[in-house]
Amino acid sequence: MTVKIGDYTPMGIDYRQEMKWICIGLCISTLYSFGFLFSLSNYYHALFTTINQKRVLIKGAFMPDFVEVLGQHLIGFFIVSLCMIALVIYHYFYHYQDSKSIYLMRRLPNRWALLKRCVSLPLFSVLTAILMALFLLLFYFGIYFWVTPEACMTPNQWHKLWHIYLGV
Amino acid sequence: MLEINDVSKNYKGYRALKQATLTLPRGEIIGLFGENGAGKTTLMKCILGFLNYKGQITLDGHPISRKNIARLSFATCEHSFFPNLTASAHKAFYELHFPTFREKRFNGLMTFFELPTHKAIRHFSVGQKNQFEVILALCQGADYILMDEPFAGNDVFNRADFYKVLLGILEPTETVLLSTHLLEEVEQIIGRAILIRKGEIVGDISIEALEDSGKTLIDIVKETYQYKSDRVVKALSDLTDER
Repeated sequence: MTVKIGDYTPMGIDYRQEMKWICIGLCISTLYSFGFLFSLSNYYHALFTTINQKRVLIKGAFMPDFVEVLGQHLIGFFIVSLCMIALVIYHYFYHYQDSKSIYLMRRLPNRWALLKRCVSLPLFSVLTAILMALFLLLFYFGIYFWVTPEACMTPNQWHKLWHIYLGV
Repeated sequence: MLEINDVSKNYKGYRALKQATLTLPRGEIIGLFGENGAGKTTLMKCILGFLNYKGQITLDGHPISRKNIARLSFATCEHSFFPNLTASAHKAFYELHFPTFREKRFNGLMTFFELPTHKAIRHFSVGQKNQFEVILALCQGADYILMDEPFAGNDVFNRADFYKVLLGILEPTETVLLSTHLLEEVEQIIGRAILIRKGEIVGDISIEALEDSGKTLIDIVKETYQYKSDRVVKALSDLTDER
C-alpha cells in the first residue's frame, strides 16, 4: 500500500517544498542538539585535575544533573513543532489564495476532508519531531551514564528527568 | 424541493437577509436579481451552509447537511476551483468526492469550450476560468446548481454559447438558481425571476406570467425597484448647470 502525500495536503500545494523545509528544520534541530556532547565534554573534563601529568578525579567533584547538562539543546524540535501550528494556519488560508477553493472544501460530503488536508502533514511532522527528540534524549541519557564516573553521579537522574519534562 | 423558510441573516447589526421565504422545485432555471449588496450571494451562502442564519432551509424536507450537500453545487465569480491544479486533476478530485459526477458531460463541455485539460487553471484567461467554474458546477451531478454571477468577465459570444449549452444539457430534474445582473440576456432562458432588494424578496414571477402581462423583465425590475428614469437627466442637468 502506498501513501500519496498529496492526498494529505491542500490540493495543488507544493508539499515537496514544505517537506524539504521541515526536513531542514529537523536536521538543524538534530545538529543543534549535538551541542549536548560539547557541554557534556566540558563538564566531564571539569571533574578531573592534572597531578604529575596524570589526570586525576577531583575528590568530591560531582557531575551536574543530566537535565542541566542537556539544557536547551533539544529546543530546535520544539521550535519546529511550533512552526507546524503556523503551517496548519497557512494550509487553511491557502484555500483563499487566487480563488475561494474553501467553498468547495467546505461543501464536500466528507466533513473531515478539509481538516485532513490542513492538519496531516504538520501533525506528522510534530510526531516525528517528538520521536526524534525522545530518541536523542534517551541516547544522550545513555551517553551521560556511560561517560560519568560512578563516584561523580548524583542519584535519581531518571526521576529528575521526568520531573522536569513531565512534572511527575 | 429546496425550501427556504423565513431566513434572516445579520452582519454586525446590518440585516443582509430579512425573512426570506422561497420554494425552488426541481427542473427550473430561476434567475435571482438585485442590485449589488441586495443579498443574492448571502442567500446562496446560507443555502450552502457557509453562513449561520435564522430560519430554515431544507432539501426535500431535510436540513442541508453533509448527507445531502452533494445535491447542491456552486459556481461563483470568486471561483472555487484549485488554481494550481489542471482540469484533469479537478475531474479526479470531483469523481472521488461526488459519486454522481457526470464525466461524459465534463468531457463534452471541456471539448466544446476548447479548454486545455493538462494546464493549471491559474494559466487560464478570466473567461476560461469562469467557464471552467461553471463546468464543474454543472458536472458535479447535483440536483440544484447555484450560480453566483458566473459570467462576470466573459464576452457576449461566450455568454450566448453558455446559455445555449445550459438549455441543451440540463435534465428535467436539474434546477439552476442563477444570480446575475444580465437581465435581458437571461430572460430568454429562465422560467422564473426572483427579485431581491435590501435583503428582502420583493418579487417572484414566472416568465409565463410576465409574457401574459405583456411586460418585460426589465419593466418589472424597474417597477419593483421604483427606478426613476429621469434621475440621470436631472443629475446631469444639475451637474452642468451654470452658476
